[in-house]
Order: sequence, then structure tokens, then C-alpha cells
Amino acid sequence: MLDLNFIIPEIFLTLSILIFVIIGVFIKNSFEIIYKLSLFLIFLLIVIILSNNDEYSKIFNESISIDMFSIYSKILILTSTFFILFISKRYIIDIKNNKFEYPVIVLLSILGMFIMVSSNDLIVFYLGLELQSLALYILASIDRDNIKSSEAGIKYFVLSALSSGLLLYGCSLVYGFAGSTNFETISNNTQAFNVGIIFGMVFILVGLAFKVSVVPFHMWTPDVYQGAPTSVTSFFSVVPKIAGMAIFIKFMYLPFREILDQWQYILVFMSIASMILGAVGAMAQKNIKRLMAYSSIGHMGYALAGIASGTENGFKSTLVYISIYLVMNIGAFGCILLMKRDGKYIEEINELSGISKNHPLISLGFLVILFSLAGIPPLAGFFAKFYIFMSVIESNMFTLAIVGLVTTVISAFYYIRIIKVMYFDDPKKSFERFTDYRIHGPIIISCILLISFFLYPSFLNDIVSKIIIF
Amino acid sequence: MIAHALFFYFFSIIAIVSAIFVIVSRNTVHAVFFLILDFISIACLFIMIGAEFLGMMMLIVYVGAVAVLFLFVVMLMNVTEQKLSWFRGTKKTGHIPVGLIIGTVILLELIVIVGGWRYRDSFSETEFLSFNSEFTNTHMIGNVMYTDFIHLFQISGIILLLAMIGAIVLTYRKREGVKTQSYIKQISREREDSVQLKDVEFDKGVKLDD
Repeated sequence: MLDLNFIIPEIFLTLSILIFVIIGVFIKNSFEIIYKLSLFLIFLLIVIILSNNDEYSKIFNESISIDMFSIYSKILILTSTFFILFISKRYIIDIKNNKFEYPVIVLLSILGMFIMVSSNDLIVFYLGLELQSLALYILASIDRDNIKSSEAGIKYFVLSALSSGLLLYGCSLVYGFAGSTNFETISNNTQAFNVGIIFGMVFILVGLAFKVSVVPFHMWTPDVYQGAPTSVTSFFSVVPKIAGMAIFIKFMYLPFREILDQWQYILVFMSIASMILGAVGAMAQKNIKRLMAYSSIGHMGYALAGIASGTENGFKSTLVYISIYLVMNIGAFGCILLMKRDGKYIEEINELSGISKNHPLISLGFLVILFSLAGIPPLAGFFAKFYIFMSVIESNMFTLAIVGLVTTVISAFYYIRIIKVMYFDDPKKSFERFTDYRIHGPIIISCILLISFFLYPSFLNDIVSKIIIF
Repeated sequence: MIAHALFFYFFSIIAIVSAIFVIVSRNTVHAVFFLILDFISIACLFIMIGAEFLGMMMLIVYVGAVAVLFLFVVMLMNVTEQKLSWFRGTKKTGHIPVGLIIGTVILLELIVIVGGWRYRDSFSETEFLSFNSEFTNTHMIGNVMYTDFIHLFQISGIILLLAMIGAIVLTYRKREGVKTQSYIKQISREREDSVQLKDVEFDKGVKLDD
């Protein structure tokens, strides 16, 4: 009974989902009410999780661990989901996807991520991952009459199911050679030259790398990002990435910490490759959602660089990076969701030309966010990259740091190209005015956070420095 | 020990060979037949190490449901060359010989596994798995399923719920103008609502306000 106290958020979330499904079935046109209830539920969950007064424990035969790390990831997941649901309401209604299942599926995927980030056992981890990704397949194809959305859903489903299979194979190998599914027991039973475990580790790495879309397992990202409805794309680009990176850190630092020298170079390679591909691939893109896809591949490369350093500072810098990344991405997708002209949402970058004349404030906000994504100094994006490179250099990986710096410069090109299009090209017809300011709020919050971060940059570090995994 | 090894190699060779044939065979129907053979061989392997519950699950879930579903898909897909003769097959790709061969092998396996059941205890002793002959396998799985692994069991249930919701979201379309019977409406209808008494004058029609 005592164990259940620690998973009150999960139980509360599950029961609420069941009640929402019942409400949704019995009340006609219940999108509105379920949507509001979901936002309220997420808010309540944040309160419940924060009110855990530092009691950490491993429960259910040590298969779930509630600790600072999982709580931090859960707060990140909840906050970003809250804002993404908040900004995407109008879009969901406009593309006539206002089914009550939409928020319910989002909540179910959050439940999966909760289970995943607090897992301390291979089976719990896998079930959480499946719950999460099953919800994501449905979300990707939720606009079922749109052929691109269906294509995105099928593509994501097939590829992701394949990667889940590889991951499961890895899990079974690790279980076979380490003799347990518990993360700590695995790390205790791991010797440096146990080929079976290393083999399994590589397969698990493949699966995880697919979920966070780093090179060479990134092929699905641009198509899925472009095909899925923008509201879903904004969810895809932030929330699963947080959960994926969190579980990536957990895997590398808990069960596989004894074989650091085995995975370190794999991660360095994946990190360098995704930084380069994210920078080069985005240049030729004309569609802003595709561009954001490549940008997220690049950003995941930087986040991986922190893990690849293999030190405690390394994974902490990754957590800081992810936190800042989510602020930037929510703002950027808020701006993309504002691109509506003549009743149609547009995604071409050229359509942005000269909007600074008609919408000075929005374009200023977009400018700040893009500069921050590019990593221009006073903004938060710079500090995120700064901490990553600090920890990378601390562990003497100069190649990684140099490649990272070079690709930062290269990737600044396409962010600044958007700014050039917005400010210096001939103005086109203005966008539709949004009167309810639902989207503007999160954009303004994100801009303020990004600008004012340099006043007190140790704010995030103070929180993150308390996190221990071992 | 030798008997154990013999049984093991018998089933695993059939399993591997049929798995290869699943991939190699050009004909989809043959591939599905070999898939079924593969599943059954692996189920036999499970039964041999004393995991009879897993073995039966393999039979019920994979052979019973998945493989038959596959057969349906293959037959409904109308693969061009098999369109006319999906059952008898053309001269080149006869289904009946392959089906007979596979059926014989499956029968052989069943005979072996049923015949070998008497010697089960001597097989189990050779295994590394701790084996308690007081409880059956099913009993022990049931014991941990609802105690140690209750959370996993519940999460699996939620995954199935999500799959259900997802299938409904992606395929259900509300059809307009479907006439369905409403009992409440039928019962709550009063006589006055539906019956009108009119005095009909001679040589004039009745005007009803409909």
C-alpha cells in the first residue's frame, strides 16, 4: 500500500483518462470540455508531482524508481504538453480534428512517458515506450482524410515498430547475459568484456536513437513532421524528445555505466553525424516544418554530445539543453501556428516574406526565438550549447567540440535566412489576425524566458545539480 | 541427456529450416504455411523445457490467430497469379503438395511431443531452470502475474485500451441520416400525437397538417 503513494500521479492520470473517455462518449461534441479538463488535469498533475516532499523510493520490487530525475523529466513533459495543447486548440478546430480523443490520446502518451522515465526495469521501460509510441502513431495519422497525414502515420508506424523490435531483441540479450531485468542488477553483473551485453546494448541504442531521431536513424523525421498536422508536429518535436533523452541518459548512466568506453564512441559518432546532417540538410528546405525537423535532428545531436562525454556534468548539461530546447520549440511552433492566410495554414518559408511590416511584434518574437535556436550569445540557446561544450571539453573530446562549434555556425545560416525573408523581402498579404491571443501568450512567455535567461543563468543549473542517478 | 539433445535438435532444425523457407519461398501461401510450421516447432521447444503455458500460448495466439489471419490476408489480397486458382494452384506452384508435407511434419511433431510427455521429468532435470514439480507452470505464472507484476499487467491493459481508442478514432465515421429505432420515442408516444379524428365532408378531401 505504501508503494502506491509514490505513483499517485500515474494512478490519477490513468483514472482521469478513463473518466474522460466515458464523458467523451456520452456528451455530444465534447472536444471543448475534454480539452479544458485535460489542461486542468495537467495543471493538477504538476501540483501533485511538485508536492512530493523529497521522498524518493524504488517501488514494485525496485522496478520503478521515483527520484529527482524522474520528477524533473515529468515536470518538463507536463509543462511542455500544457503549452502545446494550449497553442494548438485553434488549429485543431480549424482542420476539423476536434474529436475528444485528441486530448485523451495526448494524455495517454504522457502516461507512457511517465512510466518510461521512472522505469528501473527493462520490462517497465519497454511497456512505457510502447504505450508512448502507440499513442504517437495515432496522433500522426489523426487527420485521417489528409493523405499526407495518413502517410506520415503509416511511415512512422512501420519504421518505429521495426526499431521497437530491434530494441526488444537487445533487451532480451541483455537479460540473457546479465541475468536480470533490473537496471542496477544489470550494471552490477556487467563486466567490460561481456560481448553479449555489449551486443544487446548496441541494439537498445539503435531503438533509443530512433525514438529521439538522431542520425543514422532519422529518416522518418522530415516526412512525419511535414505530414502530421502542425499541432501534432509541435508535440512530436518537444515532448517525446524530452522523454527519449531522459531514458537515454538513464540507460547510459545506470545499466550500462560499467561499459562506458564501449558506448562512448557510438554516441560520439551519432552526435557528430546528427549535428552535421541537421545543419546541412536544413539548408535546402522550403517547408518550415521540414526545416524544424532537421533543426530538431541537429539539436538532438548537441544534446547527445552531453551524454557522450560520460561525466556527471555531461548528462546535467543535456538536461539543461533539453529544458531550453523545449522553450524555444514551443515558441517557434507557436509562430508557425500563426501562419494562416485566407483561411488556410501555410508552411512555405517564402510566404513569410516581409511580414515584419504587417506583424512587427510577432516577427520580433520569431526573430528572438530563431536567434536563440541558432545560439546567438545573450539568448538562452547560447547558454544551452555553452554548457554542452563545457562538459565535452572537460572530458577532453575536442573533435566533438570543434565539430559542434562549426555546425553551430553552419546552422545559423538557415535560421538567419528565415529572418532575412521576414525582414528584408517584399511584403506579401498579411496573415489573419488572431483575436483570442491564445497563441501569443506562450510566444511572449518563451521570448521573455529566452531573453532574461542570461540575467540568472545558474537558475536551471541549481535545480539540475541536485539530480543524481547512481 | 542424449534423448533431450535429440529432441532439441529435431525441433530446432525444423524451426530453422521452416523459418528460412518463410523468407525464401516465392509463393505467399507457402510462406504462411511454413510460418505456421515454425510457430508450432517453437511451441514444442517451449513445451520441452517445461514451459507448457508459453507453448500453448504460442499455439493459441500465433498459430490460432495470427497465422490464420495471415492466410485470410493472403487469400483476400488477390495476388494476380493466384487469383484464379488460389486453392489448387497452377502446375508450377501447387499448394496441396506443400501443404501435405507441412501437415505431415506437424503431425510428426505432435506425435513426438505427445509420446515424449511421459519422459518430461527427466528432460526437466537437465535444465538450468529451477523446476518445482508441485506446481504447474501456469499456476506459477498466475501467481506472479497478479502480485509482483501487477503494474505491468495493468500497463498492458492500458496499451490495449489505447489500441482500441486508436482504431476507433482512425476508422469510425459517423454516418448521417441513418434511421435507427428509438425505444424511448416509441414508448413515450401518446395517442393524441399521432391520431387525428376529422369529420370528412362529402365530396371534399381531408387536409392534414403534417
